[in-house]
Amino acid sequence: MSQFRLWWDAMWGIVRRDAILFVTYRSQFVAQFLSPLFTITLFYYISHILTDKSIHSPGGYFGFVIVGLVIVQILTTSLGIMPVTVRQELVSGTIERFLVSAHGPINGILGTMLFPLIDAFLSGIVMLALATVIFGLPLASTAVLAIPVALLGTLAFMPFAFFLVALVMAFKQASFATQFIVAGVAIVGGLYFPITVLPSWIRWMSAVQPFTPATDLLRHLLVGTPLVHPAAVELLKLVGFVVVLFPAGFMLLRASIRYGQRSGTIAEY
Amino acid sequence: MSSPYVSAPLSDPTLTVSSSGEPILELEGLYHKWKGPKPPVLDDVSLILRSGEVTWVGGRNGVGKTTLLRLAAGILLPQRGSVRIGELTPASKRGLYRRQIGFLSAGDRGLQARLRVSQQLDYWGRLAYVPRKRRTEMVADSLRRFGLEEFAARRVDRMSMGQRQRIRLAMAFLHEPRVVLLDEPRNSLDDDGYLLLNEQIEHATRRGATILWCSPRGEDRVIECDASYTLADGRLERVQ
Repeated sequence: MSQFRLWWDAMWGIVRRDAILFVTYRSQFVAQFLSPLFTITLFYYISHILTDKSIHSPGGYFGFVIVGLVIVQILTTSLGIMPVTVRQELVSGTIERFLVSAHGPINGILGTMLFPLIDAFLSGIVMLALATVIFGLPLASTAVLAIPVALLGTLAFMPFAFFLVALVMAFKQASFATQFIVAGVAIVGGLYFPITVLPSWIRWMSAVQPFTPATDLLRHLLVGTPLVHPAAVELLKLVGFVVVLFPAGFMLLRASIRYGQRSGTIAEY
Repeated sequence: MSSPYVSAPLSDPTLTVSSSGEPILELEGLYHKWKGPKPPVLDDVSLILRSGEVTWVGGRNGVGKTTLLRLAAGILLPQRGSVRIGELTPASKRGLYRRQIGFLSAGDRGLQARLRVSQQLDYWGRLAYVPRKRRTEMVADSLRRFGLEEFAARRVDRMSMGQRQRIRLAMAFLHEPRVVLLDEPRNSLDDDGYLLLNEQIEHATRRGATILWCSPRGEDRVIECDASYTLADGRLERVQ
């Protein structure tokens, strides 16, 4: 049997494990589908009183913000849950199983990050579906192209997850950093409002992280919001962030595990 | 009890069966110091574990037995000294090294509470890179060997402490490792469980594996050990 097959079997085993655990906690399962509905409802009515001309999105502010909400949902579900899951694994001693398994700690942790990612995507899709079906969000004909862009965006988001998990491995806590990242991205990534309304002294931050081009591209493809720069430029920016950040984040994660193994703190929680 | 996996375990050339008495795991000059003013917990500790043998290491609480096991398992990397199985070390050729190891930590941790017993073992089989064709058979075999067949469909968090210990032991032996590292394996085991554990140790040593058993009490008087040591003040001393 090929090494890849064994690796795949182990990865699938971790995803299957997390899916089983997720389904056994029924209230969590239900809450995850109800909370987006409340969020959408809230912003749907807020959008009725916001008629700013700077938002050139079909569907007005609701059309504009819904993509931001989907990204926030994906970020909180993935970035929020990944470090928490890894922390739980540390506490329950199941990280130790990765450390003594053929699959190893890096693959094990990557596998642990997969289910929250799948879950986040499903949550995002559910949110869009609810907005379309219940609140009449006009989806653009290019919406299907958002799938590959979302996957690319995920690769660009992952280094932040690696960073948070590395914090958990090295310092055992990362909730403060998770909140900081999600809140920071919401402000400078243009998730709730156009970045043009930001003061110039902070606007540069919109250009040095992958969330802005990902949000702009997704908004353009899903609801037809016009782009400031050509789509190819935004895409290139996103690819650039992936090329630079992904290996850096991965190396940081690996270094945190090595540090823990060398200092002995890997066994602490 | 013969195993169908002994001849070519996991189809890996590094997992060949060793002849009795041949060194398998070699720990040399191990040094480990925890942060703070305390002296090193391990200071120049060397130990060779041989094929077909059971080695016991005892010593008071907090003396460094678990640290020694974690270093041997590759969970911790040595600050000084070396850990190796032939050419494999936990720092290089890590994956292959870990495939040789079966590890039982002390306590009751390391289980997925809401998985069923058979799911837990299948999950471990996947992590241990047991090929799919053999996995079902090996999981069923482990359930039988540790008296867990009737609990296969029960959730792990609904099992007693002793039953959980049997699951954890089953995981340590499931993939037929060459080196089995056991930290206080008798925890919560009843007489039957203890008997099953001894049978599995005997089975493992017969196929050429080596066992390292660590516990604070004098288990060397109740289990058949080929070598006994005590750990104190960072040093390992052979018990005659």
